[in-house]
Amino acid sequence: MTALIGLDPTSGPFDRTDEHDFSPRPASLDGAVVALVANGLGEGEIFLDALYDELAKLSDPQAPLKVVKSSVSIPPDPGDWSRLTEEATVAITGFGG
Amino acid sequence: MTAAAQHAYDSYEALVEDYFEKGWTDGLPIMPPTLEKVAAFLERAGLSGDEVLGTVPTREVTCTAEQAAANAVMAGCLPEYFPAVVAAVRAHLHPKGNCHSTTGTLSGAAQAVIINGPVRNELGVASAAGCFGPGFRANATIGRALRLVIRNVCRGIPGFLDRASYSTPARYSFCFGENEEASDWEPLHVQRGLDPEQSAVTVHSLMKMVEATDFTSRSAEGVCDTLVTNIRANGIAGDSWLGEDGNVVIVIGHEHHRFFIEDGWSKTDIQQHLWPRLNAPATSATDRMARIGTPEGILIVAAGGAGMGASWLLLPHLALAITEPIS
Repeated sequence: MTALIGLDPTSGPFDRTDEHDFSPRPASLDGAVVALVANGLGEGEIFLDALYDELAKLSDPQAPLKVVKSSVSIPPDPGDWSRLTEEATVAITGFGG
Repeated sequence: MTAAAQHAYDSYEALVEDYFEKGWTDGLPIMPPTLEKVAAFLERAGLSGDEVLGTVPTREVTCTAEQAAANAVMAGCLPEYFPAVVAAVRAHLHPKGNCHSTTGTLSGAAQAVIINGPVRNELGVASAAGCFGPGFRANATIGRALRLVIRNVCRGIPGFLDRASYSTPARYSFCFGENEEASDWEPLHVQRGLDPEQSAVTVHSLMKMVEATDFTSRSAEGVCDTLVTNIRANGIAGDSWLGEDGNVVIVIGHEHHRFFIEDGWSKTDIQQHLWPRLNAPATSATDRMARIGTPEGILIVAAGGAGMGASWLLLPHLALAITEPIS
């Protein structure tokens, strides 16, 4: 016997397949376009530049693709997303307080 | 009529266990969101189920009144609480309430829901002793309802769009009232432009809570020195997107409040005194500029019980405090 009807309290089904496992690491950065995504906090941009210099000593990537968010409060703008998805081989994100 | 999918169960226990299984709770049991209860909540607020309370564009999410009502029922609210829940949801989903950032952040920011006006006493919202903690149905369930909306509607689910490293117990529920009867201070919602007889909710993003203890000061100025030292040691988040309207909430405790009253300080006096001191240049790594664009951005709230020489600093995440009237 059915005693209760409960309502779905969600905004609908959604795809959770993008639950974030870490992406596989590339075997090499030779020829890769390395995106550096800084969210604008602290000295994150300086850190990412220095990190790229270190990576360039270990392999031979192409010139970096830098994205510095216009605000720490909101995601990258659509143009930056397009550049990242269309041009980058790998991306490194970083933030700093 | 309902737009929501319906699920049939043989018992209360079966419903609760299935909602756990579906990931629709905060880890605590819920009340069943039946058609009848959801309809009663909507009627109490004078809303149709399909009325949109807000959106989260980055998540392609729209929050309807029916969804908010279902989550408010689940949280254990009474129907008369629902207008306050609606106001809290609207405030949180205001663009500058910045749902996406404040609920997705690694820092595990929470939402403080502050209630003002006559509705506090009508609903039994605690504003004095113990008001941050358990034991008060209105506080516990109104705050929980907003968090369930964030989870179930806005998809702020740990490991998915909630990326907090630790999160915080304040994400179960954090709601309290201003103790407007403690003095003739202008209540928060009146300072923010509403009439005294208009009840209101203010939702403030909460990066962290800091207790500013001071057992020795015996003056308004002395307590302010303690507040400034603690805020500058912890810093205040903000950026250009938020503009000049950033906020910090200072909950003035009973034992500090009385020194302001004895010295004849209004809330405006406190704001004017604190503002240049918070914005003064840094002198060390533990004495940093705490940038607040205007004195009015410092939100002073009287709350808490007698005995403890402390006030609480509700330091913001990347959002503005948004005040919404309760309809």
